[in-house]
Amino acid sequence: MAILYNTESTLAERVEACLDDDFKHNAIKNAQEAFYVSRGRLVEEMGDGWQQLRMHAMEVRNHVTENLDYYVKQFAENAEKNGCIMHYAPSGDDALWEVLDVFEKHGAAYAVKSKSMMTEEVGLNEVLEEAGIKITETDCAENILQTAESKPSHIVVPALHFNREAIADIYREKRGYEGSSVPEEITHFLRKILREEFMEAEVGIRGCNFAVAESGSVTLVTNEGNGRMVDTFPKVQIVFVGIDRIVPDLESLDTMMALLPRSAVGAKMTAYFSLDSGPRGEGEADGPEEVHIILMDNGRHELANSEFSDMLRCMRCGACLNICPVYRHITGHGYGSIYPGPMGLVLTPGLVGYDDIDNMVYACSLCGACTEHCPVSIPIHDLVRQHRINIVDQHKNHAIEVPIFKALGLFWSSRPVYLAGMKIGAPVMKVLAHGGNALDASSTWIPVVNSWTSTRDFGVLSETRFRTWFKEHKEQQNNAEGGEQ
Amino acid sequence: MALGNKTLQDLLGPITKQLDHEAVAESVELPEWEFKAQRVTDGMTHEQLVDKFQEEAEKVRTEVVRCSADGLAAAIAAIVGKGVPETGEACTVIAADDDRFAQCGLYDAIKAQELVTDLTVWDSEQGEECIQAALTATYGITYTTGGIAESATVVQPTSPKCGRAVSLLPLAHIAVVDASAIVPTMFEVMKEYEDKGEKLPSQVCFISGPSATADIELVRVEGVHGPMYVNYVIVE
Ligand code: SF4
Repeated sequence: MAILYNTESTLAERVEACLDDDFKHNAIKNAQEAFYVSRGRLVEEMGDGWQQLRMHAMEVRNHVTENLDYYVKQFAENAEKNGCIMHYAPSGDDALWEVLDVFEKHGAAYAVKSKSMMTEEVGLNEVLEEAGIKITETDCAENILQTAESKPSHIVVPALHFNREAIADIYREKRGYEGSSVPEEITHFLRKILREEFMEAEVGIRGCNFAVAESGSVTLVTNEGNGRMVDTFPKVQIVFVGIDRIVPDLESLDTMMALLPRSAVGAKMTAYFSLDSGPRGEGEADGPEEVHIILMDNGRHELANSEFSDMLRCMRCGACLNICPVYRHITGHGYGSIYPGPMGLVLTPGLVGYDDIDNMVYACSLCGACTEHCPVSIPIHDLVRQHRINIVDQHKNHAIEVPIFKALGLFWSSRPVYLAGMKIGAPVMKVLAHGGNALDASSTWIPVVNSWTSTRDFGVLSETRFRTWFKEHKEQQNNAEGGEQ
Repeated sequence: MALGNKTLQDLLGPITKQLDHEAVAESVELPEWEFKAQRVTDGMTHEQLVDKFQEEAEKVRTEVVRCSADGLAAAIAAIVGKGVPETGEACTVIAADDDRFAQCGLYDAIKAQELVTDLTVWDSEQGEECIQAALTATYGITYTTGGIAESATVVQPTSPKCGRAVSLLPLAHIAVVDASAIVPTMFEVMKEYEDKGEKLPSQVCFISGPSATADIELVRVEGVHGPMYVNYVIVE
């Protein structure tokens, strides 16, 4: 999907559409409240321990960031020692290339995947599908989105914007579901149909919450168990690891895991946390025979040693989304980035730059609630402000910028004023964002490829080597953009 | 730059440059950490830890029974003897191949249950058959290597004698844990692995209660891809 989506609409248009969606509002509000209340209870129970954990997590993550090259290297070497096959991906396209290579090597055409933001970031599903590879999302919410051909609205519970009736209908229409709209019944239907897919798939694709440099291990946090299924049955496994996922040693996993589930879903632990070190061992009868680790940068290193280096501590818990008053109103889809909410406002421009993000960094009242709740004490709202300062500096639009800052307090304070502000504000703010209409590279890629590949099928695939195909694929994309890159 | 086939050096170069490092350091010492967090389990006696483990387990809808080493077979037989949870229909069982299970007579005790129609003991040589058995099994029984009191977590490494499928595919998971192996937090488990200094098992799975989701309207549903029911048996 790439980081930005819906780039053909402006932020104001997306926000307006979201504001009109009462169901979505309520869903987000309920999620925010549910997570917030249970998180609050657990934090309180820990007393001073919570702040101490946050401070410790911060010092550990900062230490890694300051020595990032060393820890990336240490992780890579130790993972290799564990028997993993390493692939290095400075860019997202490098990552896609390496993934296609693995499929080609095995002549594989069927994969199951457990939720991974990094694969969303590089648009993996679209590329695999275009290459004729079937890929099934196995996290309940992601499967709903994939079946409905929709986009995530929350990084932890991505299908919040569908109600139970809609979800039942999606499966009735697409998968022959005959049951009711009771969540339990739909979920158990998913258990049944997805089991068959887990058993059949040749490749399992997954993300990694924390990678341990000292032991070369990758980890996965899930509640549903789909991560474990992906990790147990397909013979070949591909693990996406961001260079910003590394912790130095096993002991620091305890700190991270004390913070992550509490912050993400208000639980002490998720049902499953797996620590994986290499392929199945000698004499073992399940687990992957081959593990490929795609170690990806894709713009992250530029955050190190910069005014945004704090963002490299982010553990993608979503706590900042759950507390954000703006997120509550404009919902996940308003932002137009796979990374929405406060963390997305900092990370998205950090990864893609300022040119294509419209007025995204203004979707924040700078109230600071996110900063206060972030488990790794990222000064999120300060970083949002920093992005604004950089944009203004780049485009020298002080005259317009100043009144907009002043109006912000009022701007977000009530829905009608906010709506009006969005309408009036949009054309004004547009001036601030240079080249606001320019399409993101990877989003033009997809439509172009779609029309180009409508004649492709499995049969054609076997005649073309993936690498050749991917090269042509990129050339098409570049041509469509006027040959840059 | 051409696509793909990048080396570790290609990945590291820009990072090293961004950090203003001359080269990747040969070694980096971990600093003395400034902060150490207090935990709710601090100062608990071992007995209190076991109680905490049980209390937290019950919060995540996990049933707990305690027994002596001699009573282990009977404790587990009593669970599987009830048949399929809720319906009480006849059931099948898959269990890890564990000397402690054999010694306490668990396998025979299970077979003696009227409602148990089949018992499979994990055998890596017969991997495919065992996975098939686990797919349809009602109960999967494992002997875990430890428990974490703070979060009611059991520690389940993969080994040739206990595949991942045993604790994953059945409708219900019965996890046995020695009371003496229950520690306050995940830190102690990690520290032990670190101190051993050996290669870690291919997988160490930390399990805390049944598989669950809240993806549809935030309604909690148990039994998504993993077990819908979990029992912990604490051996004292
Ligand atoms: S910025 Fe902080 S609160 Fe937000 S997702 Fe990242 S770690 Fe969580």
